[in-house]
Amino acid sequence: MAQNRENWGSRLGVIMAVAGSAIGLGNFLRFPAKAASNGGGAFMIPYLVALFLLGIPLIWIEWTLGRFGGGFGHGTAPGIFHNLLQKNRFIKYFGVIGIFGPLVIFTYYVFIESWTLAYSFFALTGKYSGLADQSGMQSFLRGFQGIEHNQYFNGLGPAYLFFVITFILNIWVVYNGIKGGIERLCKWAMPLLFICGVVLLLRVFTLGAPDPAKPDWNIYNGLGFMWNPDFSALFSAKVWLEASGQIFFTLSVGIGVILTYASYLSKGDDVVLSGLTAASTNGIAEVILGGSIVIPAAFVFFGPVDIQSIAGSGVFNLGFVTMPLVLNKLPLSAIFGFIWFFLLFLAGITSAVSLAQPAVSFLEDEFNISRKKAVAIFGLVTFILCQPAIFFLKNGVVDELDFWGGTFFLVLFAAVETILFVWVFGMDKAWDEIHKGADMTIPRAYKFIIKYITPLFLLAILGAWLWQEWIPVIFLHKVNMADRPFVLATRIGLFVIVSVLVVLIKVAWRKKKFQAERIK
Amino acid sequence: MNAGGWLLFGITWGIIIILSAFCFIKVFSKKELK
Repeated sequence: MAQNRENWGSRLGVIMAVAGSAIGLGNFLRFPAKAASNGGGAFMIPYLVALFLLGIPLIWIEWTLGRFGGGFGHGTAPGIFHNLLQKNRFIKYFGVIGIFGPLVIFTYYVFIESWTLAYSFFALTGKYSGLADQSGMQSFLRGFQGIEHNQYFNGLGPAYLFFVITFILNIWVVYNGIKGGIERLCKWAMPLLFICGVVLLLRVFTLGAPDPAKPDWNIYNGLGFMWNPDFSALFSAKVWLEASGQIFFTLSVGIGVILTYASYLSKGDDVVLSGLTAASTNGIAEVILGGSIVIPAAFVFFGPVDIQSIAGSGVFNLGFVTMPLVLNKLPLSAIFGFIWFFLLFLAGITSAVSLAQPAVSFLEDEFNISRKKAVAIFGLVTFILCQPAIFFLKNGVVDELDFWGGTFFLVLFAAVETILFVWVFGMDKAWDEIHKGADMTIPRAYKFIIKYITPLFLLAILGAWLWQEWIPVIFLHKVNMADRPFVLATRIGLFVIVSVLVVLIKVAWRKKKFQAERIK
Repeated sequence: MNAGGWLLFGITWGIIIILSAFCFIKVFSKKELK
């Protein structure tokens, strides 16, 4: 067990760090696209139901499990699960997902984060300012990503340079520790992110109808496209699943990150109010900022017909094609373009550093090595692991990593930790543990919700995804023949990562047992 | 935006803003970390 574990410096610091982890590119790009294509305002009904029945209970479970594990010197799921159920020597291996998930997401997320830094630079220098249509901007993005050689980019060089800069920045933050690195970053990055968001929100709300020839292409109708409800969508299971999935991803639950962050709290620190505050901060970024910027602004400039295809064109297209085109049409376009991409960069870096922390904590806590050494090992390993996402993006490698690391295992992990905490550890003990040092009492109805509704909700999501995705995913139905070797190689790589982590857990516990016997 | 849109817009913004305000007021009035 690592001696002298770090602690957060302030309560606001840990709230901002958890909120920073949760607020990512998805808040500004995934949420509006999902809402607009799944019933508009009606989407918010299943969204709010899922927030209160799934998201908030999971937040409390993870904060509590993390603080519980931290009390035993463990910041990651293997150690936390082991202490939750000491009699079972296999339980710690379930915790491997809590390190695997964030590690895998980190390997492609940093690359995407680096695009936002690059585009911030491009916006200021006017590199894409002459582009005025979707095909030109898409070509610019594909050239930058190295998918094609064109008049804008002649290879991956610029993207790789920005990736290296971004990677070093992330590692430097983690290297400086919980308090000196992550907390310090989040305490200035989060307010700055909200300032950028509010500036863009005000600009979008004052767009009016920029083209006098098209008075219907105005901000009210743009907001209407986003919010006008189609109540028939509520009868679709898909809409409920999409809303639950969005709540799941936006709150960063099921990844293992909150467990690790909360492990740096002391035993008597509140988790109920702090967890709820982090979740509501994420809600502001998602619903108020995310829901009011991209889709309404795109409607104003592209109109009611094109917006249909734009809303369904994918997250990257919305962020890196549609938004720069929209902002290009405004006065001071370079400044607004910079603010948009810098906002995404801040959202990205505060999430990426949180993804790095579980693996670093695992090395520190379970192998008793110094933080600097742990970060150096992490940096070296992940730098190598990032390469497939960069060089084989066009071959579907990132999609494959995202499915396993960023989707399937998240829901599985959340289901495992919830069942362990509520049903194995015991609901009465869990309820007492949640309320230790609490600054507010959770309504009693949540005892029933956490015990029955949340696990059922999770199993329903898992079951539905397996039902819909299992066969096509396993047999690569959606992958074209040319890309299948790359996707299969990615799968083998992921299997190797899981295997290595399992072996590391075994080695760590054997080492501890050996040390304990020597002391006896 | 139609009446239904305004209603859902208002309810959702209201819930999120009230929840956040409640949380932050409580956070700033309570004790720091131990």
